[in-house]
Amino acid sequence: MSVIILLLLVSTSVAGLFLLGFIHAVRRGQFDDDRSPAVRILHEDDPRQTKTP
Amino acid sequence: MGAPGRHTAELTKVKCYHCGDPCAEEHRTHDGQDFCCQGCVVVYDLLHEAGLTDYYALGERPGTKQRSSVDEQRPELFALQEVRSRFVEFSEGGVTRARFNVPQMHCSSCIWLLENLHRIDPAVVRSRVSFADKELSITFHEDKLTLPDLVRLLRRIGYGPRTTNPGKTRGGVPRLLYIRLGVAGFIFGNTMLFSFPEYLGADGEAGLKTGLQWLSVLFSIPVVFFLSTDFFRGAWAGIRNRRVNIDQPIALGIVALWTRSLHDVLTGTGPGYFDSLAGLLFFLLIGRWYQAHTYRALRFDRALDDFLPIIVLRKSGTEETPVKVTDLKPGERIIVRDQELVPVDAILRAGTGHIDNSFITGEPLPVRKNEGDTIKAGGRQRGAAIELEVLRNFADSRLKQLWAEQESAHERPVMPRMIDAVARRFTMAVLLIALGAGLFWWSRDPAQVWPVVTAVLIVACPCALALSMPFAYGHTIRLMGKRGLFLRDSEVVERMARVDMVVFDKTGTLTTREAHELTWHGTPLNIEEYDRVRALARNSTHPLSVVLATTPHPGRRQEGNIPAWSATDVQEQAGQGIRGTVGGRTVRIGAAAFCMAEETPRESGEAHVHVAIDGRPRGYFSIRKRARSGIVEAVLRLRERMPLALLTGDSQVDPGLSDAFGAGSIRTGCSPMDKQRGIHEAQGRGRCVLMVGDGLNDAGALAQADVGITVTETSAALTPASDAIMDGPAIAGLPHFLRMARRARRIVIASLCISLGYNIIGVSLAVAGHMTPLIAAILMPLSSISVVSFVTAATAIGARELR
Repeated sequence: MSVIILLLLVSTSVAGLFLLGFIHAVRRGQFDDDRSPAVRILHEDDPRQTKTP
Repeated sequence: MGAPGRHTAELTKVKCYHCGDPCAEEHRTHDGQDFCCQGCVVVYDLLHEAGLTDYYALGERPGTKQRSSVDEQRPELFALQEVRSRFVEFSEGGVTRARFNVPQMHCSSCIWLLENLHRIDPAVVRSRVSFADKELSITFHEDKLTLPDLVRLLRRIGYGPRTTNPGKTRGGVPRLLYIRLGVAGFIFGNTMLFSFPEYLGADGEAGLKTGLQWLSVLFSIPVVFFLSTDFFRGAWAGIRNRRVNIDQPIALGIVALWTRSLHDVLTGTGPGYFDSLAGLLFFLLIGRWYQAHTYRALRFDRALDDFLPIIVLRKSGTEETPVKVTDLKPGERIIVRDQELVPVDAILRAGTGHIDNSFITGEPLPVRKNEGDTIKAGGRQRGAAIELEVLRNFADSRLKQLWAEQESAHERPVMPRMIDAVARRFTMAVLLIALGAGLFWWSRDPAQVWPVVTAVLIVACPCALALSMPFAYGHTIRLMGKRGLFLRDSEVVERMARVDMVVFDKTGTLTTREAHELTWHGTPLNIEEYDRVRALARNSTHPLSVVLATTPHPGRRQEGNIPAWSATDVQEQAGQGIRGTVGGRTVRIGAAAFCMAEETPRESGEAHVHVAIDGRPRGYFSIRKRARSGIVEAVLRLRERMPLALLTGDSQVDPGLSDAFGAGSIRTGCSPMDKQRGIHEAQGRGRCVLMVGDGLNDAGALAQADVGITVTETSAALTPASDAIMDGPAIAGLPHFLRMARRARRIVIASLCISLGYNIIGVSLAVAGHMTPLIAAILMPLSSISVVSFVTAATAIGARELR
């Protein structure tokens, strides 16, 4: 049965790591804007970009 | 021109390539595309030069119209240190980052263009859009591009930033809510896992069971002390105001769940209800998230700074210096240019004023002012620059007072929300049942009192009740927003559902702001003659001349704005008309007598402009403001259901509208006070009044009404004391909106019934003492999920039917 306890501890700590990752992402602002990143990725990078500084 | 024809501004159904508006008065073709105005052409050219025409490929006519909005302050303003500091986030070594609020952005093309600013101006290093907040963050070399120039650039492409602070509070869902949601999901899932052995009734080792229970206890601590704080706070606020609200039974349920579960674990009588507790919070937080998600991106509260010129040109001698409005002193001279707002009460000293008071009154036709006349603050000059003498300090001006009034009028008494009324009865009922059950078990088996009472409180926790409103009203608000009506919050839906009388303010709300209907009566004019008339009319700033000058001949499809003719020898006779020589022929336009014509009988709401060419009267144009399309039908449909009223400041109402309203419901010549009083009287008769208005002077009436809707043509317009903002063309859909609101209310009531059904089952089980953790774990999520799916489905089906 101690295996189950061990597994439990391992699985909750893995889940906890994901939770920490999520909290970190929220704090970094990754959930602030749910529209523009989705649009941005579709925009072509223009090869004619000559004017960039 | 052929036969005497009736033509309106919407002759061509061509849409502008840039902004998608119908091309009307100023229709022009450029580069093989149609445009509605010069502003759009300029933007098109600018983007074309910078190789940014992908803008048009990404979205269907994505542009923002170049409007001379009240928002547009002098760019010099941005050089002022105190204004600058609102926007600049950091500035070091010539590189500056500024953050602007750009409410105009609305589609993926906007995002693309705003993030490619560096291709228009190389001094821009990087620009980033945050769509949810409508914010634009730009890093640029300030030595090459000053902040005012950057603002000018943004305005040129139609995305002029607001002058007020972008704000510290973010528009979107608060980050803390996301974190809470994540934590709640984590705890919910894991606690359910810990409870599995209990669900299955597995006879594991006693040690394992206890271990799992204590893990659940551990996990429940953040649930109560971190996830639930908002509900406790809400409940406490209700107690302090001696009001029962929905948060109180929820808080009660949470406390009961937790203490009961702790008690069970401590005494070893059971595993507790920790999984239900975590699930409860998870669902409640989803409701909160949805609410925040729907209401964001709508900013109603706008400061006066947004509208007023903060900087004006002060003239001393020959020198013109920009100064702050608040620094102006009586007796000083200021210059107000075309399309600028007069910031203080002043006397006209030089030039001719054509003052458009639409900001204050909603009346769009400008009023002529001569030297020596007083001009009240808030009027906008249309025409050449004028010189004014300041009469009063800014703080004493009428505009500031009006603003202060509408701010104070804004605090309307909070209408009891339906959900709170339900919550009150609900809480009472639950407490009574708990008490009754407690007494019953006291006499039979005192040991059962604690478990039964807590079980009742647990199972009666109105989670589904709390979810139904945000979802039903949230969906409705979203659907309304798609059709051009933007509500302040969910309460407005509820009030709209109760509306049984609609009051309209005519100016600007029922008629379109700039469109007029022109009808020619008399000997037909050919295109050439017509253009001569227009060429002459261009020389006058009389409102009727402006209409004439901007309406092209219906036979003409494509043209530049400027007629090929130009008038010479122009003489204007105030109040009579204007005459001049156009291409060798003398043209007179104006009153009948001025054109040697017979006086013509006029209908109400109509103006006649007579035309004489070469001394011969040719006929007259009849000009009237055009009612918005579909408005008459909308009025007729509304009339079937509820009484209507038209309270207008005008002296006359045009016949089409007055027929639709019916004679008894129209009152003309109303002052703002009259409007407010009229609504108050109707409310005294037990009516729930919806007022549709515009302009600052309607603020009182809008605040008095149970629901006040401001109609605007531009996103930059003022929204005084209103519960909702409506796009001008959407007004014809008002009957629709009211139906949607009523339907949303019915859906909420139906979902309340469903959740009450669950509660009755749960409470009876609890009273009987059969409330096991397993039943709670099934019943509570089930009720929440079924209510949310019912509400979502019902609103979606309702929306389809209304289409």
